[in-house]
Amino acid sequence: MAPLKHLEMENPIIDASFRDFCSSHGILTVEDFLIHDLYELAAFAERQVDADRLKEGITVMLSLLEVKCRPLLNGMELLEDLQRNKHTLSSGDNGTDSLLQGGLREGQVTELVGPSSSGKTQFCMQAAASVAEKQEGSVFYIDTGNSFSARRIAQFICGSSAAAALQKRVLSRISCHTVYDIYTMFDTLQGLEVALRSQMNVNECRLRLLIVDSISSLITPILGGSGSQGRALMVALGYLLKKLAHEHNIAVLVTNHTVGAGENGKTKPALGETWKSIPHVRLMLSRDNRNNICTISILKHTSMLSGQTVTRKDNQQCL
Amino acid sequence: METSTLPLSSSTRGKLISAGYTSLSSISSVSSTDLARDVNITEAEAFEILKMANHQVTGSSTSLINGARNAWDMLHEEEALPRITTSCSDLDKILGGGISCRDVTEIGGVPGIGKTQIGIQLSVNVQIPSEFGGLGGKAIYIDTEGSFMVERALQIAEACVEDMEEYTGYIHKHYKANQVQLKPKDILENIFYFRVCSYTEQIALVNHLDKFISENKDVKVVIVDSITFHFRQDFDDLAQRTRVLSEMALKFMKLAKKFSLAVVLLNQVTTKYTEGSFQLALALGDSWSHSCTNRVILYWNGDERYAYIDKSPSLPSASASYTVTSRGLRNSSSSSKRVKMM
Repeated sequence: MAPLKHLEMENPIIDASFRDFCSSHGILTVEDFLIHDLYELAAFAERQVDADRLKEGITVMLSLLEVKCRPLLNGMELLEDLQRNKHTLSSGDNGTDSLLQGGLREGQVTELVGPSSSGKTQFCMQAAASVAEKQEGSVFYIDTGNSFSARRIAQFICGSSAAAALQKRVLSRISCHTVYDIYTMFDTLQGLEVALRSQMNVNECRLRLLIVDSISSLITPILGGSGSQGRALMVALGYLLKKLAHEHNIAVLVTNHTVGAGENGKTKPALGETWKSIPHVRLMLSRDNRNNICTISILKHTSMLSGQTVTRKDNQQCL
Repeated sequence: METSTLPLSSSTRGKLISAGYTSLSSISSVSSTDLARDVNITEAEAFEILKMANHQVTGSSTSLINGARNAWDMLHEEEALPRITTSCSDLDKILGGGISCRDVTEIGGVPGIGKTQIGIQLSVNVQIPSEFGGLGGKAIYIDTEGSFMVERALQIAEACVEDMEEYTGYIHKHYKANQVQLKPKDILENIFYFRVCSYTEQIALVNHLDKFISENKDVKVVIVDSITFHFRQDFDDLAQRTRVLSEMALKFMKLAKKFSLAVVLLNQVTTKYTEGSFQLALALGDSWSHSCTNRVILYWNGDERYAYIDKSPSLPSASASYTVTSRGLRNSSSSSKRVKMM
């Protein structure tokens, strides 16, 4: 932790005499302050010449710590938060909505897993079109494979015969970013966090859906190998997404690919065991090329039974 | 731990975290000399770290606004995007007009189906001047197998110039003096050819392409023939192969987006055991299959060569037939006739 003297710039009470007093008790950094017995420290402060200043210094330190730590919530507050702020967003497809009891939930990270060309990008684009059009929220689309196609999204908006004004209104709510490595991804997400914090929810077009297509292509180049740095970055990214989802009431949708498990031939999601626990909801997509049927099944859900599936006929024009 | 998200070497990062600097705000409030002394690194390194941390904290919101483009603007851009024709109108039709720029397209097929022919045809077609509906750009051909034949490229280039002259003949019937400026020799001059002999050379070349293309801004297509060759043998560590390939794919994506060019990767096939039977699948594994924007699979159907769109974000799946003639890729002539089987 940073040494105490770094706090002096913003809090002039923590001046040299306070720091000398603290260092006489072996407190040099904020961490030491936290582990030390504060009653004992206050009692020692009483005996000093400038007792009031020292006690004021201790109080300021404690208030700084309270600002930094997370607030405690009880169950009722959580329930109220859930009912008031965290709505479900329709994903654009009735079958999926009925499977997920409403659709994508704000405040949760939903992961779509599937082999190549099983319809993950199509699902993401359909969800983006549906949220921008029906729920009138804005969508932040992060694309790592140049697969974002505005033309395809326009087809999802109530059929392509929609009026140009409607198309323009809906399409201008979707903003697309291309990201090609994990550090740029962190920059983008942190910039988004800053922008969201300062915006304070005035207009009706607030951000409702964040899509990352696909997160596995950013993480696969760094995962594995000699160090555990790749896994640390993956977990940090997962936590950042969950934090954004919870604090700003956004639904987060990420896509992942599958890897074959070798001899028994069953495919499993990529990114390994550590990633498994990060998304709240995991859905597996599979496509049967012969009869063009798409199947979505639940691998993991916070409040529903896993293993339920729904199938739909894959119509090329409008899924 | 926000400091772990900074791009630093692991030893520097370890020193930072053990000294207690776990969040970006704690770094930004410190001067570089103090940081250097606390963490036991040189002052130049401390200065670099401070610059990175401050850039992240302050600069990111502006870059967010600059990097954002909404879908409405992109719709118009997409419709105006040029495409490289393949000289086979059926194939162009299922591709939506040709190979699209700003996309990474993977073309794979069994040996002898015509992958190198498509590669050479595209590197010639990209140079068709804009008066004839082409891009008027140059091509980069990265050859890993040694299958690029200059005589064949010359043959295709001559056929292309003859077609263009015929086309001007139709349009400008009275204006005989409007000759095609491009000569087959010029076409060959505009193909930048790289011969790669090992996978390290391949990776080095991909890293170097950014600088090369910044100096030769006319390049509009990068063809890699084939991307698999050096990665199939001599690679003991498959996990490392996956990492290296995904990183290469991301670099190609970035090139395609940054310079608005088309990247065409030619791939080989392998057999895969799925659902109780052996099937042909593209090489390099499952992870690689996610690294392209579009995928086209070439296969034999009886005596005919067919192309099938396997993966595309905006095109429906379809297949079309084509042939390889002495003039290059062309429509298969039997597509207009119906063959009745007795």
